[in-house]
Amino acid sequence: MIVFEEVSKSFDSLEVLSGLSFHIATGQMVGMVGPSGSGKTTILKLVTGILTPDKGSVRVAEGVVGYVFQEPRLLPWRTAVDNVAAPLRARGRIKAEAREIAAHWLRRVELGGFEHYHPAELSGGMAQRVSIARAFAVEPRILLMDEPFSNVDAALKGSLMQILTSIIRERKPTVLYVTHDQAEAIRLADRVVELVPGNGLRELDVRDRA
Amino acid sequence: MGSTTPHKGTEADGAPESGAPEGGVGFRGVVAASEAGAGRRSGMVRRARAAYVVAGVLAMLVAWQLLSFVVSPAVMASPADTAKALAGLAWGSKLWVELLITLKRLVIGLAMGAAVGWLLGIVAGVHRQLRSFLEPLRWVSMTVPAVIIAVLAMLWFGLGDLAVIFLVAVIVFPTMYVNTVSGVQAVDRRLTEMGQVYHFSRRLLLTEVYLPGIASPVLAGLTLATGVAVRAVVLGEVLGAMNGIGHAFSRAMAYLETPELFAWIVVLLALMAVIEFGVLRPVRRRIMRWRKAGG
Ligand SMILES: Nc1ncnc2c1ncn2[C@@H]1O[C@H](COP(=O)(O)OP(=O)(O)OP(=O)(O)O)[C@@H](O)[C@H]1O
Ligand SMILES: [Mg+2]
Repeated sequence: MIVFEEVSKSFDSLEVLSGLSFHIATGQMVGMVGPSGSGKTTILKLVTGILTPDKGSVRVAEGVVGYVFQEPRLLPWRTAVDNVAAPLRARGRIKAEAREIAAHWLRRVELGGFEHYHPAELSGGMAQRVSIARAFAVEPRILLMDEPFSNVDAALKGSLMQILTSIIRERKPTVLYVTHDQAEAIRLADRVVELVPGNGLRELDVRDRA
Repeated sequence: MGSTTPHKGTEADGAPESGAPEGGVGFRGVVAASEAGAGRRSGMVRRARAAYVVAGVLAMLVAWQLLSFVVSPAVMASPADTAKALAGLAWGSKLWVELLITLKRLVIGLAMGAAVGWLLGIVAGVHRQLRSFLEPLRWVSMTVPAVIIAVLAMLWFGLGDLAVIFLVAVIVFPTMYVNTVSGVQAVDRRLTEMGQVYHFSRRLLLTEVYLPGIASPVLAGLTLATGVAVRAVVLGEVLGAMNGIGHAFSRAMAYLETPELFAWIVVLLALMAVIEFGVLRPVRRRIMRWRKAGG
């Protein structure tokens, strides 16, 4: 469950969000679209607590968060497998165990064989998939994704979507998913919202356009 | 310490989501340039560069030889005489005894000063209050001339190991401290945020994000600090010790044994070369392996 109540957020003099309210029920998958610079990433960061609202409140149900950042945000000095393993170690797994789980998830995002590559040796799309594996591997109750498939080709995107849908079916996390592709959001999500600059969130009708 | 740029206690992390600069902030001209390339350059370019370095060494030797023709041997020994004196020192045990004494003082002083600078640098890099609190200490230790610290060290510890080690440690400290602080401040905020989202413990944040993140500026600082330490140990031994290379050097000067004096200079250069190319560079290459693809 994610609840925003009258949330305002400014950076210096720039007001990005003003009095934003919305509610996402537990287990719901919500797609979010909106123009560049409208504040989509800001909303995700507010959910994680990296950012705090200037006014209003953000409430998020307890539970592990998986976050596919807009950029991969991998540790450049760690291999792919250790990047995926790090959050697992933060959750108390011993190193060997964390690596085993991490390797499993790397194989699922079709990076088997690249476990011991450093980020500098991976392509942009491959790094993005490591970041996706990292978010999935923690078995999140809340999954935040910021244009997770922006860097991968159509075929790969299809198989990543499949993994995503199977995760959603099995574990029913609450998902907030930012994309530039409105049609895709409508196809995948339970709800689609559009962030309109200066005007908050507008609910799009999923059924109409499906 | 003329080669270090004073660290200004400003907030270097104002810009959001900016990549971390490579090398120690403020030291780019001195150190970062030497490490940025290495892995990236092709073997041929590197060999061509090495050829120029060798040519530079030869040119200096030739200039030295030519100078020694025109200048009195009392003030400048020729390369041949220096080599002879060096061989004499190495044949008896004198060279090795003095070298070991100096090396011991250098390593202990460097290790202590660098460790304190590194540790305080990490904590002060994170905590603004501590950074401000340490600012006067940093300023004093960087500003007081080395000779004055040497004189004080003799006054407090007498002649010998302790005075020299103290001098080296005090002089090394700010170099290491400043590099570490700016390294911590330049750690990529996107990565610390990632650690925050995944609830990294303090320890995990340190071992996975901060320590590797500051490795490059810290190693650059350590290289600078080593050069500073060699100069300090010699100064300390010239003024405040009864043995070691610095003492042997000033004794040779007092007795006008010019070839021996030059031989000790060569020993110092060789010592520095061994430390830099035999220890620091391999260590840096190993630690910075992840950069091999040149991202
Ligand atoms: N840390 C920050 N400091 C200052 N301004 C910021 C910061 N983060 C975001 N902004 C500003 O807030 C606005 C919204 O940024 P945000 O990243 O949320 O947009 P977005 O909707 O995710 O855009 P995009 O689709 O391009 O990723 C932008 O104008 C941006 O300049
Ligand atoms: Mg964004």
